[in-house]
Amino acid sequence: MIVLLKLIQGIGAGALSISIGLLFVGIGRKITARIHRRYGPPFVQNFIDLFKLLSKKSISHGFTFDLGLIAGFSALLAAVVFLPMGQINIFPHNSSLIMILYLMTMAYLGMAMGVSSSGNPNATVGIARALTLTMGYEVPFAAVIFSVYLFAHTGSLTNIVAAQSGGFMNWNLVKLPFGFVAAEIALQGMLGEAPFDMAIAPAEIASGPMVEMGGKYLGFGMLQHSIGLFLETGIMVDLFLGGGSNVWIFVIKQFELYFLALLVNAIFPRFKIEDGVSFMWKVPLLLGIVQALIVVL
Amino acid sequence: MSEWDELVNYFRGRSMWMLHYCTGCGAIELPPTMTSRWDMERFGIIPMATPRQADILLITGYLSIKTLKRVVYTYEQMSAPKWVLGFGSCTINGGIYWDSYGVIQNLDKYIPVDLYIAGCMPRPEAILDAFGKLKKMVQKGEAKGYEKYIKNYDWYKANQDRVFRRTEPVLRKAEEVTKSA
Amino acid sequence: MNTNLIWLVAMPLIGSAVTAVVVRYKFLDRLITFLTFATTLFVLFLAHVGQSYSWTLKFLGTTLNLTLNVSHLSIFMLYISIAFGTVLAFYSLIDNSRMKGFLLLLVLAANNWIFMSNDMIGFFFAWELMGWASVVSVLGGREKEKSRHAALYYAMMSVAGSYSMLFGIFILWRLTGTFSISANIAYLSSIIGGHPWWVLGIVSLFFMTFMIKSGIFPFHTWVPLAYAYSPDAFTPFLSAAMSKYGVYGMLLFLPLGLLEKGFPTAFGVPWTNYIFLWFGVITAVVGTVLSIFQDDVKKLFAYSSLSNLGYVVAAIALFTPVGITAGIYHAFNHLLFEGALFITLLAVISRSGTSKLSEMGGLWKKMPITFFTFFVGIASAAGIPPFNGFGSKWLVYQAMIKQHLIFATILLFLASTGAFMYLFKAFHSIFLGQLSHDYERVKEVPIVGQIVEAFLMIAMIFFGVQPGYILKPIGAIVKSMGLKPLPVMANGYVAGMFSNVYMPLIGWSLVVSFIFGFILFYVSAEHKNVSQTDNYTAGQIPEDWGLTPETYQFSWNFYQPVEKLFVPFFRIKIDGFFRGIGDWTKATGSAIKEIFVGNAQMYAFFAIVGLIIFVIAGWMA
Repeated sequence: MIVLLKLIQGIGAGALSISIGLLFVGIGRKITARIHRRYGPPFVQNFIDLFKLLSKKSISHGFTFDLGLIAGFSALLAAVVFLPMGQINIFPHNSSLIMILYLMTMAYLGMAMGVSSSGNPNATVGIARALTLTMGYEVPFAAVIFSVYLFAHTGSLTNIVAAQSGGFMNWNLVKLPFGFVAAEIALQGMLGEAPFDMAIAPAEIASGPMVEMGGKYLGFGMLQHSIGLFLETGIMVDLFLGGGSNVWIFVIKQFELYFLALLVNAIFPRFKIEDGVSFMWKVPLLLGIVQALIVVL
Repeated sequence: MSEWDELVNYFRGRSMWMLHYCTGCGAIELPPTMTSRWDMERFGIIPMATPRQADILLITGYLSIKTLKRVVYTYEQMSAPKWVLGFGSCTINGGIYWDSYGVIQNLDKYIPVDLYIAGCMPRPEAILDAFGKLKKMVQKGEAKGYEKYIKNYDWYKANQDRVFRRTEPVLRKAEEVTKSA
Repeated sequence: MNTNLIWLVAMPLIGSAVTAVVVRYKFLDRLITFLTFATTLFVLFLAHVGQSYSWTLKFLGTTLNLTLNVSHLSIFMLYISIAFGTVLAFYSLIDNSRMKGFLLLLVLAANNWIFMSNDMIGFFFAWELMGWASVVSVLGGREKEKSRHAALYYAMMSVAGSYSMLFGIFILWRLTGTFSISANIAYLSSIIGGHPWWVLGIVSLFFMTFMIKSGIFPFHTWVPLAYAYSPDAFTPFLSAAMSKYGVYGMLLFLPLGLLEKGFPTAFGVPWTNYIFLWFGVITAVVGTVLSIFQDDVKKLFAYSSLSNLGYVVAAIALFTPVGITAGIYHAFNHLLFEGALFITLLAVISRSGTSKLSEMGGLWKKMPITFFTFFVGIASAAGIPPFNGFGSKWLVYQAMIKQHLIFATILLFLASTGAFMYLFKAFHSIFLGQLSHDYERVKEVPIVGQIVEAFLMIAMIFFGVQPGYILKPIGAIVKSMGLKPLPVMANGYVAGMFSNVYMPLIGWSLVVSFIFGFILFYVSAEHKNVSQTDNYTAGQIPEDWGLTPETYQFSWNFYQPVEKLFVPFFRIKIDGFFRGIGDWTKATGSAIKEIFVGNAQMYAFFAIVGLIIFVIAGWMA
């Protein structure tokens, strides 16, 4: 009985993350358009695009190509159920932050396997860039994780959220401001928004990992991006913005973070890959270390 | 047409991703169409990087025979449903290249064009109008160029081969010459 | 007196003697090797904790006690190393590299002796046996010239380690008059309050040996050479099992009770341990960074192995319950996934005939079982739950964070993400991408190899999902060291300092979401499979362009931008330092040789002076 309940809750969480993620990207396109002084597409445009992609015929380069794309989507879906989202917290005793981060890696490994088995060098260059950038932003994010772990004396997102209950002044955003800024810059890299969008540069490497994807494969890629967006902003909300008293407040807080990322994305050009990494190892890392030192001392 | 197909077509018309194959001078009209003055993203039309991802192939000008070879290859790499937009008079009748030996005159003989935009160059308004027209055609299920291509593949192939033959070297290849000497 | 322990050493020695006779008949050689391994594993079932055997030797008027003793730690190490060796020996039935069965069995005998020995003479003898047997094994690599050089380098490092240990043994013997390891450690522990520098000096002599054997920075230079140029069938044992001898030795000497003696601390650990920990962290980072740029796949995984040992050392150096647990657990996980990875590499290299990443590609179609084992292997090595590498990495981080070690934690994270980079590079370059025309006829390894690979794949998943089967024995080890073990819950749990993880839940969550993924995939519009040359080439037609699968594969200079980042660090060459020592030794040696062979009278003079010094020294002592 409990298994069935958890299963249904898990499916609900997956559906929520997909729809919120798609909606966010849709609203994001509208906002970016307004920053560019354009009218912009309707905010449901992403749902239409997804529907079209799933109903369009496509080509495949073999079994690993299929499997990789499915893994990229499914592993993120598997990670979503461990994320506390407001009052929805399906597995409250099993929400270790590092576990969720490493489970997300499974999705990226699957995605990387799929696109690079297409045999297109552009795709592999894109993946190589994405992995290099990962090395960049994981380092400051490690400093942030360190600070939060020691500050809250727990590694479970559930308990980190619980420790921040009781108003704005208890949020880690206020308690750990430098860590928040470092994590916010790392988040920009995680989301792959400008200035850290070198992995999917359309003009240089023909949109990188997506080069051979069409139809439902691109649809799966889009789903993966949406869930990834939901997860990454969700982790940030749980870490710094005190979770949410209910799921809608949680989503609004997520959107605030995404909105910030969008503003930066809309006006910045791209870093070169090595410059992006060395930037990550300078400014955010320094902020993260300062925060960690403040927590330790 | 069943109701499911109608639904699918409706959404397809609302989300058309295009691959602009920029030959000739037509490409210069696309940036204003994409950016803030005319903004084609509001109709769900965005540029994509590779033929795998795209629904519309936009040919923006004259095609030399060597370029046509690439266009055909690109068109065949796209997945169904796919549509071709001929852009400017060069694609209709060769335009100012109407008597050129190295340029094709009618694009429709080599790949199935769903819609032409006349003009030299067509203004962004005309381009947006064409996209609107194509959207209506897609939603009504009238834009079936890709099916025509499969049905009449032999005819298209013969036409293509006839012009492709012209790209072969006139003189014998260097190694053949040395061999005979 | 438990005579069964003797058989653990004797059995491989007998097997080794037999295989040495039939060394010409390859299959017989491999079969006897496998049977000996299996028998040894069976003999091991009879051994349990607390058993001991001792054997008194009378030698030139002195009595020597050779003692074998089974502790919690030794039985754990014995099980994992012999079980892995058995699997490897089974695989080697179909292998055709120049590995010699009797050498592997000699290493096995030494392996068992090292893990059980409780006297320093036996320990040293076994250590030497292991060292020389493995050095000779390295000689049989594919490229003769290079493997000879590698073996020489390895031998030099081993000898340096052995001298250091011998020196330490004799100092201890002089101080206590006994060779017993446990008595000597108890003695060291008792005098550490009064003479800390003495104790540290002696212990560092031993630690140098262990660090050399495990390849910890700055002694890591032999590892890539020996791993890359040893016979392909021997490398898995070299990497998986033999790198653990150093870890075992360190674990023997770590419980000195520094904290109880009021030793000065840094971040809650004794400062000696703190320095030692940094050796581990630097090893992890250096191994990772160097691994990213390798083109030889065995070198790449040699550095990977190194970097994982860095994790182990960093964790055990903390000497906290969670640190020791994490370290031993990671040592086990490293044995499993690195062994599996090297076995799949053995399969790939034997089939493709090259170990250069830039020459391979697209092999997944040809070797599916190998491909999936490799996939699970790199997922484990990258620490992805629910595969087996996750739990230990996670515990290592927690152990580090618990002690407030900021920079060490950040660097270990860096090593972990870097690990993902080189693992993906190897994965892509071997199995994904374009299949070269040269490998059109490559076939999957024979059925024996497939069984081994499938077995290892299942083991990696099983121990990932059910970590309790490993964490319980590790709990006993931690307890036997006088620390409070981590709580052991149901088999599926990894209990950490900051939170718990229930691994089967992650597994089920993945299974369910994969089912959803497949359903969504199959209800979507259909796809058709196209060949790998039908690819996006910016409109260019591959045949006209002269495009071949080899030229359309991206695997050369894979992480070129990263190389630019690390340029300043590449100027530092540890290798050069050792070469400098080598040159200096050579020069000194030849100077001394001049003295000896130059003049007979001079030689006699030195001999007499030496004799006089000995006599005076003996008289004074």
